[in-house]
Amino acid sequence: MRHPVYTTFGVLLVLLVVAAEVRGWTPMRPNEVKNVPRSIRDNPGAYRPHYRSFGVGHYMGGK
Amino acid sequence: MSAPAVASLSCSQCGAAIELRTLDQAQSVVCASCGSILDARDPNLHLIQAFEARQKFTPQIPLGTRGTLKGEKWEVVGFQVRRATIDGTSYDWEEYLLFNPYKGFRYLTQYDGHWNDVQVVKAAPKELTSGRQPLVILHGETFKHFQSSNAETVFALGEFPWQIRVGDRAVTRDFVAPPRMLSEEQTPDETTWSLGTYLPAAQIWEGFALPGNPPRPRGVYANQPSHYRPMVGSLAKRYLLLAAIVIAIGALRFVSASRAVVYTSPVSFFRPGQAPESLAFVTPTFTVKGRTANLEVATEAQLDNGWAFFEYALVNEATGATYEFGRDLSYYSGRDSDGNWTEGSKRDRAVLPSVPAGPYFLRVQPQAEVTAPFLEYRIIVRHDVPIATPYLICLALLALPPIFVAFRAWGMESARWKESDYASGSGSDDSDGSDSDSDSDSDDD
Repeated sequence: MRHPVYTTFGVLLVLLVVAAEVRGWTPMRPNEVKNVPRSIRDNPGAYRPHYRSFGVGHYMGGK
Repeated sequence: MSAPAVASLSCSQCGAAIELRTLDQAQSVVCASCGSILDARDPNLHLIQAFEARQKFTPQIPLGTRGTLKGEKWEVVGFQVRRATIDGTSYDWEEYLLFNPYKGFRYLTQYDGHWNDVQVVKAAPKELTSGRQPLVILHGETFKHFQSSNAETVFALGEFPWQIRVGDRAVTRDFVAPPRMLSEEQTPDETTWSLGTYLPAAQIWEGFALPGNPPRPRGVYANQPSHYRPMVGSLAKRYLLLAAIVIAIGALRFVSASRAVVYTSPVSFFRPGQAPESLAFVTPTFTVKGRTANLEVATEAQLDNGWAFFEYALVNEATGATYEFGRDLSYYSGRDSDGNWTEGSKRDRAVLPSVPAGPYFLRVQPQAEVTAPFLEYRIIVRHDVPIATPYLICLALLALPPIFVAFRAWGMESARWKESDYASGSGSDDSDGSDSDSDSDSDDD
């Protein structure tokens, strides 16, 4: 077999893509929190996300 | 090779002993002691030329060394240093004359640590002129013109089957098809063609049992074979095969993805400018079924010269596990001297990874800054959607090794032809065949 290292590298990448599809991996990394209380339903406005890095720096411009 | 017959003579100039290894084939012999060039056919070793070399050179393979080259035994009988002066710069190379009483003569040439095994060819190659770069064809192989120069003998030692003189000049033309080089030498009396094949120095050191290690080659030689060039095509083919597999898997995925809509919000409105907390709400519970897969939260907002921000929390009602994320949307449009323009989008798509089946609801907190009093928006949640990113990343990563090898191959060809008569126009890159570089980092696959 020619280029065994490259072929192995390629096959591993393909397997990784297949695994990503099977497991539903995506590049997005949301903040995951466990045990959020059910009371969020009763008072959604009181819920505070566990990180606040978003919500700032919106695009304000136009051309 | 059995011990060859050697004739012992004395230098007619200094009286030092001279050994003739090629016997009646020698036409001239250089006295190792005084450097005089003597007529080997004359029993009295008549002087052809007194020592004239301005420099003394020491051969890397001592005269009289016997060794094996390509399975045949050879003895080093002659050594000369030749010089070409190009644009005021002198380039010296060494030529070793090898002799086997049954095989005749052949040469080893050395320049900057690059070695060639050279044999005179009897048939003149067919010459073609293609564009500005002449070509020659020998035994069906095409050689590209590399360089023309004037070569001068500046030092000689040993014996030669011609009457050598320091100061001998010849017009040379080199043609390359790595790992071979075809060279023409023209003197007023004759034209000679010789075919050289690039040899790794280690092979010579091993064949002639030379001590130590050979000097490391410098730069890229005209006919030096490249590890990289032959790999480019085969790696490209392997890339295409792997890319086809990736694309096939991607196509299968795009066809088979369920894209199940698990929640669609009604068309909703909110009044921007209110406290964001007061606008927060939760959706009804929706059920995600099937295997763990990604989950797309698509947001559409009827923006016009404004922005909106949606703070989301996807909550698993059964376990309390929550995915928090925020999405920005902005859409601006207008007209200027270039005409109409738009920026941004009214739609956004967030694809959450690995969301297991279960009952979920979304907590949504919108905010916006728009010109209209209300912002209309809509949220759609889909389970198991295809995304192109992993495939594109995979294709890009797969392309890196072939690109690297192609870059190295190009770099080597570029370095090779930089030393040629065609240095300024890089049109000569594509010598067929293969080459390898001196600082060759071996097998990158």
